[in-house]
Amino acid sequence: MSHFSPSACVDYFFNYFLMKGVLVTIGLTAAGVAGGLVLGMAIALMRMSGNAVLHGFARAYVWFFRGTPLLIQLVVIFTGLPQLGIKFDVITCALVGLILNEAAYLAEIVRSGFMAVSPGQSEAAWALGLPKSVTFRRVTLPQAFRLMIPPLGNSVNSLLKATSLASVISVEEIMRRSDMLMQEHFQILEVYAAATAYYLILTSLWDLAQRRLEKHFGRSTAARAPRTLARAPVILEARA
Amino acid sequence: MTAAAQDLEAVKMEAVYKYYGDFPALTEIDLKVAKGETVVICGPSGSGKSTLIRCINYIEKHDQGLIYVNGIQLDNQPKNFDAVRRATGMVFQNFNLFPHMTILDNCTLAPMTVNRLGKDAAKELAMHFLTKVRIPDQAGKFPGQLSGGQQQRVAIARALCMQPKIMLFDEPTSSLDPEMVKEVLETMKKLTEEGMTMICVTHEMGFAREVADRIVFMNDGRIVEQAPPADFFTQPKSERARTFLDQVIR
Repeated sequence: MSHFSPSACVDYFFNYFLMKGVLVTIGLTAAGVAGGLVLGMAIALMRMSGNAVLHGFARAYVWFFRGTPLLIQLVVIFTGLPQLGIKFDVITCALVGLILNEAAYLAEIVRSGFMAVSPGQSEAAWALGLPKSVTFRRVTLPQAFRLMIPPLGNSVNSLLKATSLASVISVEEIMRRSDMLMQEHFQILEVYAAATAYYLILTSLWDLAQRRLEKHFGRSTAARAPRTLARAPVILEARA
Repeated sequence: MTAAAQDLEAVKMEAVYKYYGDFPALTEIDLKVAKGETVVICGPSGSGKSTLIRCINYIEKHDQGLIYVNGIQLDNQPKNFDAVRRATGMVFQNFNLFPHMTILDNCTLAPMTVNRLGKDAAKELAMHFLTKVRIPDQAGKFPGQLSGGQQQRVAIARALCMQPKIMLFDEPTSSLDPEMVKEVLETMKKLTEEGMTMICVTHEMGFAREVADRIVFMNDGRIVEQAPPADFFTQPKSERARTFLDQVIR
């Protein structure tokens, strides 16, 4: 006996219960990126600072959170930490886990962005007398950010899908609510087809947004001639 | 030294040493530059010319010796090196314009944030100096849309917007196409004529001969000789300067 009901797919797609799960997925992703960027920036700055302790801490942080599965991190935060008397509600657990994990990836992206900005940019800013804070905010950060957008976009895409892991600790996002619908009606393919459609729509929308961001931040370099690369200095003959 | 003599000095370096690891980049540098003077520093690659000029505004930190700029002693106190950086303008080999800002914003950023100038006043100032380097019609463009020569003239205008007492040029024409060198050199020449104190690292011997008050010749991190251009080009004292001139002047 095989049966598949396309109309049920449509019904699940417009299911209000599932739609609310979509909002939770969007919320987790947005908060994960925002929190991850702030924390990731801090980790990257520690890593780039001359201070050995901060540098070591940042390296250890990235090593740990990139080296362990997000699933374990979430489960430990939700079910392990209460053993030590540290308890959060389930959404907070998911956010803490996602942000801690995302920050490790974004820290590396932020760092590579800053390393790609020519040191001559900071030197020119200092030579003009600009304080370090202004040099960072107005000169190096905007240029580094432009370089960060493509890898950042990838990372947001991954995070969007990784929020489905939060279903394991019972956060009612798309995946969890699909499971619940499936267990109620046993229309496995129909429910997951609707969930899959939502993930595809969300990742496609993000692709569009990313392209617009790249265009916006790339506007100053769109017309750049390829010859801004420095050439070897030439000793010129006398012109007198 | 009397106060009056100090007043006449824009830059004074006394027994300055600078090392990169164990490598001595500058050795026993003694250099005085008077106000209004134009000094050209020349010498072979790796002789310490750029390092010397970059020590004057504390982009590089010297390891030993004393540097006074405009009477201010350069040390690791931000108060002092900030004052020195405000008193000096610098032009780099690779222009180092801020590529994400328009030409106008490149010029107004420092006056607005450092000197707390209003937006309109900063714009007026920027347009004044952009006009001076003959490039006011490009104010709304981004650096990547300009030729190398135009970019370097913008870099000069950007530095002038901070109304520096001393201008430092670090091989300003070395990454330019040959046909763009002249427009930059002429802008520099105009500055000299207006009495700006200038220290230029350059391989443009024609410019040095015509515009410099004094040539400083460096080799292996030391100042080998200093002389007015007429003497330096016709009767260099050191053997090293003679072989250098044989190579660059044909």
